[in-house]
Amino acid sequence: MSDEVQSSNYWKSLNELAQNKEYERFVEREFPENASELKDGFSRRTFLRMMGASIALAGFAACRRPVQKILPYSKQPEDVIPGVPMYYASAMPFQDALTGIVIENHEGRPTKIEGNEMHPASKGNTSKFNQAATLGMYDPDRSRNVMKDGEQSSFTNFQSFCEQHFGDTGRGIAFISESNSSPTYHKIKEQALSRFSNAQWVTYEPFGEENALEGTNMAFGQRLRTVNHFDEADIIVALDDDFLNPAAHKNSVQNTREFTQRRNVETGDDISRLYSIESTFTVTGSNADNRLRIKSSEIGLFIQALAAELGVGGSSNKFSDHEWISVLAEDLQNNRGRSVLTLGNEHSPELHAMVSSINVALGNAGTTVTYLELPYLDDQNNRDAFTEVVNAVNNEEIDTVVIIGGNPVFNAPADLNFAEALNSAEHVIHLSDYYDETSKMANWHVNRAHFLETWSDGYSYTGASSIIQPQIEPLFDGKSEIEFLNTIVTGDDTDGYQLVQETWRKNISGNFTNGWETILHDGVATEDNFPEVTPSAGGFSGDISQPEQSEGIEVVIRPDSKVFDGRYANNGWLQELPDPMTKITWDNVALMSPQTAEKLDIEKAGLGKAEVDLITIDVNGTKIEIPAWVQPGHADDSITVTAGYGRKGLGRVADAVGVDTYPLRTSGAMLFATDISVSKTGSGYEIASTQDHGSMEGRSLLRHATLQEYRDNPDFSQYEEAYNAELPGEAWAHEQGADSPLTIFDAIDEQEYPDYQPQWGMTIDLNSCIGCGTCTIACQAENNIPVIGKDEVMNGREMHWIRTDRYFAGDVDNPKALHQPVPCMHCELAPCEQVCPVAATTHSEDGMNQMTYNRCIGTRYCANNCPYKVRRFNFFNYTDEFLTDGDDPEVIQMAMNPDVTVRFRGVMEKCSYCVQRVNRAKIQTQIETDGSMKPEDGTVKTACQQACPSDAIYFGDLTDPDSEVSKTKRNNRNYLLLEELNTRPRTSYLAKITNPNPALTQHSTISNNEH
Amino acid sequence: MGQIFSKKADEIPSRILLGAIIILTATVAGVWYYFSPEYLDVGYAPEQPVPFSHKLHAGHHDMDCQYCHSNVAVSKQANIPPTQTCMNCHSQIKTDSPRLAKIRESWKSGEPVEWVRVHNLPDYAYFNHAIHVNMGVGCETCHGRIDRMEVVAQKEPLSMSWCLDCHRNPEKYVRPVDEVTTMGYEAENQVELGRKLVAKHNIHPPTYCQGCHY
Repeated sequence: MSDEVQSSNYWKSLNELAQNKEYERFVEREFPENASELKDGFSRRTFLRMMGASIALAGFAACRRPVQKILPYSKQPEDVIPGVPMYYASAMPFQDALTGIVIENHEGRPTKIEGNEMHPASKGNTSKFNQAATLGMYDPDRSRNVMKDGEQSSFTNFQSFCEQHFGDTGRGIAFISESNSSPTYHKIKEQALSRFSNAQWVTYEPFGEENALEGTNMAFGQRLRTVNHFDEADIIVALDDDFLNPAAHKNSVQNTREFTQRRNVETGDDISRLYSIESTFTVTGSNADNRLRIKSSEIGLFIQALAAELGVGGSSNKFSDHEWISVLAEDLQNNRGRSVLTLGNEHSPELHAMVSSINVALGNAGTTVTYLELPYLDDQNNRDAFTEVVNAVNNEEIDTVVIIGGNPVFNAPADLNFAEALNSAEHVIHLSDYYDETSKMANWHVNRAHFLETWSDGYSYTGASSIIQPQIEPLFDGKSEIEFLNTIVTGDDTDGYQLVQETWRKNISGNFTNGWETILHDGVATEDNFPEVTPSAGGFSGDISQPEQSEGIEVVIRPDSKVFDGRYANNGWLQELPDPMTKITWDNVALMSPQTAEKLDIEKAGLGKAEVDLITIDVNGTKIEIPAWVQPGHADDSITVTAGYGRKGLGRVADAVGVDTYPLRTSGAMLFATDISVSKTGSGYEIASTQDHGSMEGRSLLRHATLQEYRDNPDFSQYEEAYNAELPGEAWAHEQGADSPLTIFDAIDEQEYPDYQPQWGMTIDLNSCIGCGTCTIACQAENNIPVIGKDEVMNGREMHWIRTDRYFAGDVDNPKALHQPVPCMHCELAPCEQVCPVAATTHSEDGMNQMTYNRCIGTRYCANNCPYKVRRFNFFNYTDEFLTDGDDPEVIQMAMNPDVTVRFRGVMEKCSYCVQRVNRAKIQTQIETDGSMKPEDGTVKTACQQACPSDAIYFGDLTDPDSEVSKTKRNNRNYLLLEELNTRPRTSYLAKITNPNPALTQHSTISNNEH
Repeated sequence: MGQIFSKKADEIPSRILLGAIIILTATVAGVWYYFSPEYLDVGYAPEQPVPFSHKLHAGHHDMDCQYCHSNVAVSKQANIPPTQTCMNCHSQIKTDSPRLAKIRESWKSGEPVEWVRVHNLPDYAYFNHAIHVNMGVGCETCHGRIDRMEVVAQKEPLSMSWCLDCHRNPEKYVRPVDEVTTMGYEAENQVELGRKLVAKHNIHPPTYCQGCHY
């Protein structure tokens, strides 16, 4: 057994590692000082006075029965049963890749998004962006009107403008579009280009696939999409590629599923090995078996050295003698045709070409890596074309700029001065969700409809075609990009439904209505619409310039894991989700390694003291001020910032959050900039990070071993092995000769469970979990969990029912990171139940720890006594603010799940194992079987389980020995959290198995914790 | 100089005590009775926008409850029928009745009729019609003799203790499933029949909190 398993050297933050006084005080308090006091200018005395008044009023009001109305349909739609949700298949576009989804719809209100089992990109799984999309639609800050020069107008006015303006077909028009895979959209695009003789079309995405496409163009002479099949690969080399993160890869859901499938140790086969070479510590890096941290600007050198070692061009450089090169090359040579090399999207086309050539040379092309020809791609390098269009606008060659989606004023490369260029255009027309930075510069702004409100279509990343069907009438009368573009081309206001149907009339053979309805029902029409191309064996032989070796500090600009390029900035669920690696909410920061921080004299993030140093980053004279965050595992001499923050006038959530980093991004340095200078400003900034919340103080909560260690000792995750001691408890005490050992649990607490009831249990497979946080958002959507804001997060009041703890292990400069989702454990002997004075938390017959809101008086004793720190308290009436007092209470009310109570101030809450879904299934089963209360295995899925992109969560009936969850409980990797407390949790964990290359010393030196 | 307090003053403390006891008892009893759902809710019979008579439809014409409340066996809500259901008949019968003016208006405009809720469960409680109806709880058991009501009134308190009366002793109340909508149903020996039905349908009504509160 390695020291790794036995030692309890896991730490959440640098302060925990240092174990300073401040940290101990913080952990003992659980909440920071004064967290239980009311502030925000609301003193205790005024509070009492207010309460006095409202109690007096409440006393009288309660005597009168509130009159409620029931409004049935006038003409009830067929198939609608009030009270029973409907499920519709659709798809969510993210750039030009669709993910199949199924939407839960309550009488015309979409409330929850699940994955579509039949769709290849989803197979029932989702990403956090999919989960947060419902809130995106119900966002009251979305644009509600057509605007003309900043004045409210109407679509009819816009339409007549189009008729007149675009009647002159010879105008110089530039269309700047988001990437979009819709065949209907591209059909209208073709119409536009043939109708307007002087029109140009360019697709611009600030973070996209363009360089990868150009790379295959260089290597194979054709712009092809690279698809990695991680389920087929034994060796995966991720070169600065965070392919498990939805913000970094548009097919992350499929990637995650395929990656974790190949990591399954139950099959008995060897699991795949992931090498990660990167600068930022990413989610993918934290799942790597071996991780090398190097600067992003040196990734090119690394690839060249590796190519040279493999004999595929390249050249030798300072990495040629690096131990990783020979080890990697050997592993790749031994696994020819069964490996994947993948490079981050924003790296240069030359490097992409080089990686493609290596994949071809290793025989991976056609097996683990395939290349697909996309039917809708522009035949140009869009990054260059975008620059040309901006130049043409500046030269006044273009009179009308039509921007379809996107927000180039905010996110175009800074050196292009896009905002200034727009001033030279006579007419600027912009379609967008929000009245954003670009809209404010436009003559015409048209408010866009959400994908849950409109008809559209498109392809998944691998080419499965789907139709997007609306779930609700557009809330704010928005127009889809199809309708908008069609109005420009034809002058008509044609409904999207007609336009999409027109396209599909050609695609559907046989009876159109039947075919159309089948596609809508399944959510997927045909798979594999993109032809696979077998690239020429020779591959890329072109010369690429040796990247310059930079000595100083670099700054790397990446899309944010939560707000992406800024398009999700006004989504409260995403803003409040702790970042998977930093656990920071509501901000973006400059990440750097401890050594770099020391060099720059920057203090580590504090505890109980949320203030960190502000630094100035200067790239060729452009400066931004941004808080610094010391991130163990980051490459030295490298600073990572994420984009999308620092918005002004976008919406109530997005405004005044974080720092705009786009000014640092220029067309020559889209990924990283070298030759920068960094200095401390001397002032501080408060950051809300949850990484030290709910600390479990060094106990062995996370157990993991290498594949070899697991084979040698399959029981490594058991208590005795993990602690090298016997499990303490009553039995142990008796053995030691104690007659009546002290225990807080009496025999009376032992509950009898009736045999007609199912007994629910959950297992979380840490070997599958990648730590993305999708479960947290899914839970938030399902259970009406409020968003509380940055100040309250700093007070430790976050409301998430399931959190993902991120631990570091080992060397402070180069640690391993591990993820552990923690929901309520549903202990059979629950410490919380022992201390509730009003029996508001008790045990149900089906074995759940139940929380009864109407009994709770808010003493918080239960939270105090919970060893897992999973209970959440409504310190304020969070929902009231949005549901009744806000500007648009009706809109927010519509987003609520009607099957779950909206909790009030002063009430404790926690994970309920999605009891509303459990009860629904039990009732359904009892009706169908006339008596059985035990739903079939797989009928009840908790929200987190259903959403999880890696299928890491199992839930079901423990009385059924054949249920999936029962099987996992018998697995030898199964272990309980804090088993020694004898709480008997119903939630357990399967230990993580890694497969590091023994030839690399990575992670193997773990200093023992000495405290 | 006479005494400050007369002799009668000796009785004052005991009178005050007596008075206090009476007032306290009256307050407790008053709150107990007047603030209870039995007093506040039972008998609530608001005026509805359309003077629909259950007595006429369910009583005189003997229409089945499920003709209008059609989803009661499949949904948590028993559903107030859409205007469409009214118009099934009233497009042909009594087409000019002024009492039906609002129904015709709703049918024409597509706007719903705004019925007033009679049976209002307390907050935090989730009730599911389907499971009750399928296990043999009669409509009448909770809603009373609807077939005799000109205006629908609440007959039972819908309090938690009232729910638990049945959840603890279902055999006293359940009936065969095909008699669920029957009005005035009476079994010869309810307890004996009830026990059989409880065993047959494996009825174990939840008495733990999250059976209803979540």
